[in-house]
Formats: sequence, C-alpha cells, structure tokens
Amino acid sequence: MEQAALVNYWFGMALYMVATVLYAYHFVAKRPLFSWYASFATGAGFIAHTASIVLHGLATSEIPITGAFNSLSLTAWALVLIYFVVEHLVKLKLYGVVLVPAALISMAAGQISLRATGVELPAEALAQLDSWRVTMHVVLIMVANAGFAVGAAASAVYLIQGVQLKRHKSSGLMKRLPSLTQTQVLARRAIMLALPVYTAGILLGIIRAIEFRLDYWWLDPRVMMSGVVWAIFASYLLLHYRRGASGRLLARLALAGLVAVVILAVFARTLPTGFHIFGL
Amino acid sequence: MHLTLVGLSHKTAPVEIREKLTFPAHRQEEALSLLLATPDVAEAVLLSTCNRTEIYAVTAAEVDGPGAIIDFLVDYHDLDRHELVRYLYFSQGEAVIRRLFRVVSSLDSMVIGEAQILGQVKEAYEHAFANDASGRIFNKLFRQSFEVGKRVRSETDIGENAVSISYAAVELAKKVFDTLEGRTILILGAGKMSELTAKHLVGNGVRSVLVANRTFERAEELAARFCGSAIRYDELFEWIRDADIVISSTAATRYVVTKDKLARAMRGRKGSPLFMIDIAVPRDIDPDVNELDDVFLYDIDDLNGVVETNLEERMREARRAEEIIAEEIVAFERWLESMEVVPTVAAMRAKAEQIRSNELEKAIKRLGGLSEKELKTVDALTASIVNKMLHGPTARLKQTAGEKEGYAYVEAARFLYGLDANPEGKSPHTGLIKSLLGKAEKAAERAAEKASKKEMGDTIGC
Repeated sequence: MEQAALVNYWFGMALYMVATVLYAYHFVAKRPLFSWYASFATGAGFIAHTASIVLHGLATSEIPITGAFNSLSLTAWALVLIYFVVEHLVKLKLYGVVLVPAALISMAAGQISLRATGVELPAEALAQLDSWRVTMHVVLIMVANAGFAVGAAASAVYLIQGVQLKRHKSSGLMKRLPSLTQTQVLARRAIMLALPVYTAGILLGIIRAIEFRLDYWWLDPRVMMSGVVWAIFASYLLLHYRRGASGRLLARLALAGLVAVVILAVFARTLPTGFHIFGL
Repeated sequence: MHLTLVGLSHKTAPVEIREKLTFPAHRQEEALSLLLATPDVAEAVLLSTCNRTEIYAVTAAEVDGPGAIIDFLVDYHDLDRHELVRYLYFSQGEAVIRRLFRVVSSLDSMVIGEAQILGQVKEAYEHAFANDASGRIFNKLFRQSFEVGKRVRSETDIGENAVSISYAAVELAKKVFDTLEGRTILILGAGKMSELTAKHLVGNGVRSVLVANRTFERAEELAARFCGSAIRYDELFEWIRDADIVISSTAATRYVVTKDKLARAMRGRKGSPLFMIDIAVPRDIDPDVNELDDVFLYDIDDLNGVVETNLEERMREARRAEEIIAEEIVAFERWLESMEVVPTVAAMRAKAEQIRSNELEKAIKRLGGLSEKELKTVDALTASIVNKMLHGPTARLKQTAGEKEGYAYVEAARFLYGLDANPEGKSPHTGLIKSLLGKAEKAAERAAEKASKKEMGDTIGC
C-alpha cells in the first residue's frame, strides 16, 4: 500500500508538472483551450495526490500530519484545493500559473525531505498528538495557510497591475493580468475564508495545549508567530471594512501576512524551543 | 479564364469618387446581371463598402479582363473613363487571391484588424450566389476566404487592442474594473470628445451618468442624452466619491481637479479605484493625482501612447496574418491545380475504352466464329490490358495533382493522350489554370523579357 501511495504521489507530481507547462503556455499564448487542459491535468493530479495521502495514512495506520514530508504534501494539497475553489468563484485561470507550480514545488520539497533523517518523537509528544483535535488543528491551519497564499498571490498581481496602470504602460503583461477589482475581490474573499478557518485551527490547538496542561504554551515560537499572522490578516479585514483603506496598502499587508506564514512554517519550527516539534 | 480584380479604396480614391462607384444591396442584382450579360465575364462578386468598391471576376482568357470591367463601370455609373482609371487598381491571377484574402483579413482596411469587413465580404458573396453570379471557382475562393478571415482573427491578436482614443479608454477602464456594468461615470465639461468616450462606456454597461458643467443647462442637456443626472459644478468633489470613472474635457485654463481636493474626496471611497480620463487641452486634472493610491489618471497623450502601442501590436500581428494568407494561397492553388485531374482521368479512360471497343470489334470480325466463352475471354483480356496500362499514369496524375506545378502533368497528359478536339492535340483548357493564376502572363512576360534582353544583347554586343 505504501508503494501505491508513492506511485500516486509521483503520478500527481507529474500531472502538476504538465499542468504548470500548460498554464504557462496559456498565459503566454492566450489560448483558452490550453487552460482547460491545464485544469484537467490539475484535477487529475489532485485526485492522484488525494489517493496518495489516503493510501499513505492506511499504510502507516495514522493520520499523515507529522513530519516535513506530510506537512509539505498537505500544503500542496490545500493549495490545489483552494485553487479549485478560486477558479470556481472568480473564473480566473491565471492563478493556476502561480498556485499549481507552488503546489508542485511543495510536493517536490516533501519528496526531498524524505531523504533527511526525521526526529524520533518522545512518547509524551506522541501522546499529545493522539487526538482528533490535533488532526483538525493541523488540517485547518494548512487550509487557512493555502487561503492566505491565494490572497497574497492575488495581492501581488494587484500591485503589479497597479504599477502597469500607473505608469501608463500598455504592455502584454498588463493585457494578460486580470483587472484590479477582480484581484481585490479575490484577495479579500480568500482572506475572509481563511481567517475563520485559521482561528478555529488555533483555538483547537490552544484547547489541546490546555487539556495537556502544557506550561507557558503561549511562549512557543510558532504559537507566538501564529498570533502575528492572525493579527495581520485580521487587520487586513478591519482596515478594509472599517477604514476603507487603499487597495495598495491592503495588498502590501496581505504580502506581509504571507511572509509571516512562511517564517512560521519554515523558520519558527527550527528554533530549539517550545513544544511544536512534530513537524521536524 | 482569368481571375480579375478591378477596384478602388480609401487608399486610392477620395470619398467624392468612392461615393460615385457604390453598388448598394438593392442594385446588386441588376448590376450583376448586366456584368454577366457580357460573354467576357463568367463569374463576378461586387464588394461595395464605404471604403472600397471592388469587382472580382472570372473573365475569358482571350479578352482584356480589367478592360471589360472598367467598361462596365463606366457604362453603369456613367463616368468618364480617363478620369476613373486614375483611381482604380487592377490585379490578375494569384494577386487577386492574395488581395481578397488580405481584404477579408482586414489587412487592407483603414483600421487594421477591424471586424466589419468579413461580414461585408460575406454579404457581397451571398448576393452573387443568390443571383447565380458565382460559380465553381468563386464558390471555393470566397468560402475559403471566410476561413482565412476566421483563422486570422482566431490565430492572431489582430483585432484585440483598441486603436481609437475612446476604445482605448474603455479597454483601460476594464483593466481597472473588469466589467463596466453597474459603474458610474462622471462627465466633467460637456465637450464632444467626452460625450463620445462616455457613449462607448455606456455602450459597455455603465449604469449611471453624472454630468457637471459650469453652465448647468448644458449639463442637463448632455445628461438627458444618457438618461443621466446633471450635478452642480461646485458639488463636484462630493459626487466624485460616488463615481468610478471621471471623464474631463472642460475649457478651463487651470486645473479643475487638484491633488489635495481629490485626496480628501478619496477618503470616503473605501479603497475602491477611481479611473480618470483627462482629454482636455490644457489639462483639467493635476497630473500629480496619479500619485494618490487607487487613482489612475490618463491624459490625452497617455491615451495616444496606448493607441500607438496597440497599433504597433496590430502591425506585428498583421505579419503573422500574412503568413496565414500565404499558406491559404498555396492551398487554393492546389485546389485549382487538382480541379482538372478528375475530368482528365475520365477523358483518358473514355478514349482508351473507345479505342479498345473499336479494335475489339475489328478483331472479332477478322477472326469470325468465336464461341461465347472465347468472346468473353478476349473482351476481358483487352479490358485488363487497358486498365493495367492506364492504372499507373492515372494514379500518378492524381497523386501529383496536389503538388506544386501539378497542372503541368495534367496538361502533359491531355497533350500526350490527345484528349482535346483540335488537330494538334492541344487542350482548349490548356492554360486555364495558368491563366487563372496569372502564370501564363508571367511566362509570357518572362519570354518577352528574355527576348528583349536578347535583343539588347544583340544590339550592344553584336
């Protein structure tokens, strides 16, 4: 079964690679037919990837949420899932050009991380993980992170398009990128969707920490960083709905939020303090 | 037979001449029947638009095709021949195919890439078809030309980018707002240019129009044309909060919209973008407002710059379109070349069968008293010999028909098998394809050139 999971994983990666090439061609040559092929390849890759996650879980008799490989694989899975929601909501294929390659890179990094020797988890840590709350905590945080990534990608597109329009450049890039309002709406919706999910994920983690009577759980670097991420994206929504902040400011804030997410996911976990050691 | 074209367009004739040479839809039937009444013209299509009048015709080989069509134009429109000829252009052979494909792809239009011409050529062909003025050649040529037009539009971006100021404004507005449906525009100053731009924006779905002008009555007049509302000039910045697009074209000599005032107005907009078009000279809007977040200002020079860039892009796409046209010309030529193969093969077989049956009859008479079985055997033997003899040449003829210069094999076969009625065995169709493509003329020209060179050589050298 483990073998089947691996085959599906590689198959999923190959399909995402095909989709990346097709999306890139669609972006350059503006051929709608190729975006359809790309969506099809992404969908097929997503099915293979999902099958791989399920088979891997069945083979190891545990929910695959620990370790760098599982984290990266779940990140890729959540990115593609969110991408399909985006494509359905705003009918924009453009984000496939950004998000599908990002998912592919995440999967490839996961595959590379398999070669690194993992950390043996102590019995106490394994006991902490033995709860549906922890599983939901991880899944919700992953999905929310994917939502934040979509919001940040849309914001980056907003800034690029804004610069093109401000400079009065009628370039090919300007013609290929979507309108400012489309990118604004997409970023806002993605963040609006992701923030409650993130909040729920954090709350489940806190409940589990309290349940387990962990001392000074709030001093864990990842917990603190997640507070920063939450504050940035909450400010984003607050500034938009309460203050009517400019599109440029909000777009920059969304990008800052993504940077915080990356710091949390990549750097904060490497610090030798706190109780969040499952990801290593 | 020749493919012939006579016409004039915005490039060769002023409107005073073009308007004299039109063929309105209701007069095309009459014009086509008059044109086809002469034995010189076998097929004809009249293309008549505001920018061009072109007559495409298949004319008899032995006549001066362009001359015959000019005669028709002179008679039909009662014009002075010498005066008219100054504005006309003529094409024959392959040049006609190229010209039609370029016209239908809008490469010859006043605005390269415009979409109307394809419909106009279709309409012209439909008139000709309905009046039995198009035959085998034009049915194929024009139908293929529509495919060329479609290919050019779908495989290139020739019609993609706006090439007028007002459309460029619409195109840019769509890059800010995606769709203009439900948007509000504020027209500042009741000038003609702002009215035209507003018209295009309203045509693209803008919901409400606000008009501000120093003279309130003029604002009301213009607002009424768009079912919009006139607003007081001094309340301008309060209304800017509700507007998505501002078009400014006043006669003011100072900036009407300054950065400070607009910055204050922008505070109440909750971050929604404002697209401003300043088409006034001198400008109405301080260029510094472009530095404000969510404000995108374009003045007349910026819009001209966009139009120029778009025109350059269309020119680049036009080069790609020329490649498509070249491919399609080759395809049409191949069709023409293959056109004579089928009747030639049939004629070869018919002639062989006639010879076989005549010779068989003579042989049977000479032999006499053959049994039924023997007769059948001899008959089958001769038929088999003829079939086997013809199989190779006919198969190769069909094969080469689709190739370049395939017509030469067809002509050679007709000559070698003596398929035509004249004593030299020369086909009455010989030169049909060559003449349709203008190759006969080219060959004649080449021969004449050669001869003249030789003559010159003789004069100088010898």
